[in-house]
Amino acid sequence: MISIRSLEFYYRPGEFRLDIPEFSVTKGEKVAVIGPSGSGKTTLLNLIAGIMTPLKGTVSVGDIQVSGLDDRERRDFRITNIGFVFQDFELLDYLNVLDNVLHPFRITGALTLDREARSRATNLAQDMGIGDKLKRNSNDLSHGEKQRVAICRALLSQPKLILADEATGNLDPDNKGLILDLLFQSVEDHGTTLLAVTHDYELLKRFDRVVDFQQFEGHDK
Amino acid sequence: MLDTFYIAWRYVSFNKIKTATLVACVTLISFLPLSLQLLLEESERQLMSRAVSTPLVVGAKGSSLDLVMNTLYFDDEVPELITVAASNRVMDTDLALPIPVYARFQARGNPIVGTTLDYFDFRGLKIAQGRQLAVLGDCVLGAKVAETLGLEPGDSLVSSPETLFDLAGIYPLKMKVVGVLEKSHTSDDLAVFVDLKTAWVIQGLGHGHEDVTKLRDPTLVLKRTEKNVAATAKLYHHNEITEKNIDSFHFHGDLAQYPITAVIAVPHDDKSGTILRGRYLSQEETRQIVRPEDVIDGLLQNIFRIKNVLDAVISVVALATILAIILVFALSLRLRQREIQTVFKLGCRRATIARLLTAEIFIIVIMSGVFCGAMVFLVNQLSNDLVRMLFIR
Amino acid sequence: MEYWSNGKGLTSSMRMQNIISVSKGLAFVCFSVVTIASLMLFSTATADESEKLTIYVVNYPLQYFAERIAVEHARVVFPAPADVDPAYWMPDEKTISEYQRADLILLNGANYAKWVNKVSLPRFRMVNTSAAFKDRYIETAEILTHSHGAEGEHGHEALAFTTWIDFSLAAEQAEAIAKALSRTRPALRDTFQKNYEELKRELLKLDRDIKEVVSKEQSRVLVVSHPVYDYFARGYGLNIRSVHWEPDEIPTTAQMVELHTILKDHQAKWMIWEGEPAKEAVERLKTIGIQSVVFDPCGNAPNQGDFMSVMRQNIENLKEVFPQSRW
Repeated sequence: MISIRSLEFYYRPGEFRLDIPEFSVTKGEKVAVIGPSGSGKTTLLNLIAGIMTPLKGTVSVGDIQVSGLDDRERRDFRITNIGFVFQDFELLDYLNVLDNVLHPFRITGALTLDREARSRATNLAQDMGIGDKLKRNSNDLSHGEKQRVAICRALLSQPKLILADEATGNLDPDNKGLILDLLFQSVEDHGTTLLAVTHDYELLKRFDRVVDFQQFEGHDK
Repeated sequence: MLDTFYIAWRYVSFNKIKTATLVACVTLISFLPLSLQLLLEESERQLMSRAVSTPLVVGAKGSSLDLVMNTLYFDDEVPELITVAASNRVMDTDLALPIPVYARFQARGNPIVGTTLDYFDFRGLKIAQGRQLAVLGDCVLGAKVAETLGLEPGDSLVSSPETLFDLAGIYPLKMKVVGVLEKSHTSDDLAVFVDLKTAWVIQGLGHGHEDVTKLRDPTLVLKRTEKNVAATAKLYHHNEITEKNIDSFHFHGDLAQYPITAVIAVPHDDKSGTILRGRYLSQEETRQIVRPEDVIDGLLQNIFRIKNVLDAVISVVALATILAIILVFALSLRLRQREIQTVFKLGCRRATIARLLTAEIFIIVIMSGVFCGAMVFLVNQLSNDLVRMLFIR
Repeated sequence: MEYWSNGKGLTSSMRMQNIISVSKGLAFVCFSVVTIASLMLFSTATADESEKLTIYVVNYPLQYFAERIAVEHARVVFPAPADVDPAYWMPDEKTISEYQRADLILLNGANYAKWVNKVSLPRFRMVNTSAAFKDRYIETAEILTHSHGAEGEHGHEALAFTTWIDFSLAAEQAEAIAKALSRTRPALRDTFQKNYEELKRELLKLDRDIKEVVSKEQSRVLVVSHPVYDYFARGYGLNIRSVHWEPDEIPTTAQMVELHTILKDHQAKWMIWEGEPAKEAVERLKTIGIQSVVFDPCGNAPNQGDFMSVMRQNIENLKEVFPQSRW
């Protein structure tokens, strides 16, 4: 699913630098990425999603060489192929639960908000256990509920890949496991690949593979 | 497009206070110049139509504006008084018909206009309820006065004393409301009309009391001669004219010397009007004759000069408001950086983000437009009354 | 009629005839419309002009003068009841509104009708018939006036108002009426003028007749029963003093005393009454050497006759007072 070759990236010369000779994730795999803060884990996710482009090397997701697309193509690729789950949920406080889930479909022409999509949204919400909260404002939910909404939003477009950046970082211990269970269940149900950045070492054993990012940590050459 | 507006609407309606503030600012800054323009246009219309319909006004020399404003609009500023002789003089020229006006007193905040029946014919005023003035002490109310004071024929209305501290001054007279006029949409709606002689009774120049020549109480008699009996100030004067006491009402001195504020002169034709105006040109003349149309035209020129200044001020305020609104949006954008980054990360195009923000601005502008439109419509509907309340009487 | 066909059914000749007929018809219609319209306009104009004026007056002499001058062109109304003194009458609301609607309101002037200053009348339609001689109004010495305070002006009750019994003044009042009528109906100016001239001749004859009657004995001293003869006295040079006696009442002791006081330095032998006096009053006067004669000012409508006949009778009555005249 993900294939990275000879990737070089830095923000400014002389500063933090990312060198990844080779990295890959197979389809349907659930991979955790660990490493110290500032090691470039989030940067990796951004490069895979096409939010940033490498200075050298290639990033491919499925058949698409993301690093070779232009800005517009990368956005369209991202919204149709990638689902994001953020540490801080990143829900819009002025939208209710349903509108937050449907949000990606409203902000791009690449996805069509039709009856089928709405039905899928409702079903996802039911599966996540928040089917009765669709009309509630997202501000009124607990952290766990908010993350469930975020997961629904990420899954609605039926993406190939879910990128989770510290998805359980802001949750209490009980919820961490629960959310991860829900996430794993969903990706398995939908055949989605999961790449998750995490600091929660207790949860690592649930993943198929754990990648220590220290091996890729960049340094001044 | 619909989705963009949907999200924009959700944002705008969630942030109620911010939206309300922005809408209020835009509404006000749009409403002010529009409503001012409407009111000024209506003022011009009212002032000019009233002025054009009043051919000539004769009054004491002095401010022609005060004279015209008092005679046409019953303004509080009472010009220097003239006498009925001025009206007789116009009559004697055979060039115009004179209508004397005495607009000096008030009744519960409304001007009392003493005049003759000819005034009503001249202004085309018709009786809606009750009857026309007939007897001393009668008053006929303008439509608005009757409405505001809740009076109808048969009720009474007391004139207001001119000053509280003048013990020998103008005492209140209880007048009888005999009629209410049809609405004329002019200053006449706001006036209390009485016969000129009733106005003089209000002033105390005419009065009623028991027969002085038959008084028994010596404290009421100042001096008695063969031909005349002088009464003291202790003698009680009736403060209401009734069927029983009307016979006792009378006037002292020559009525031609009694005061009025102006004479409306209605010339027989243009030539007569010109000749009549020529009669008041001499240096020794103590009266002036003015064409209200000219006076009001001059006033409007001044008003519009002031309006230009106001326009400039409003423009500056508008500019400041717009800059403030831009600042609000800019700050709002900064506060929403996180949201923008999120949607960017999700894959939203730059154009879509711009469209979302534009849609929010558009919604605010539309809402302001609707409110502004409604307020301007309201002002337009009420402009007639508003102008008279704010600018004219 | 020439006949030729253009193959389209109607011949040209017939078509021409039709056109002529239609034109004639149209011309007739136009003419009729114009004629009718003109007639209507004209009749409206004449209707306006022929519509009677409504004139309201404040006393009988004015009614008489107005009727003499306006004849059938006006309806002259004097609404005061016959048994009241018009100078002191107060019309009711309904009558006041009738006055307000009149085409002309004829006033006597000299503050005659006390009610006029207490009502609202349209100034433009009011005529003061004695305005031409207002500088010759008489302030009567007989009425006690009042004033307020040390500097106050006295009331108007001091003006004498029976102006019409100086017939030269009556003629001036008639002239004022004629002028007002002519202003209101300019088309009838000549008619009004002619009628006025005739009335004026009669009034001036009355004036000459009285002067004849009193000419020889102008110095004769008279008393009058009411202070209504000031203009008469001035006009005809008579020396009069007035009491305040009602014709139908017997004079009281106080009134007799007042008369005696007057007679001390005003030795009159005749009392002029404004109406037929009570017999007892006449007798009482006779006992103190005073004869009675009636000179009816005719302020209100007479029971019999009209203004002229009443005045002629008055002059006849005066002959008794002035027997030495050439009359």
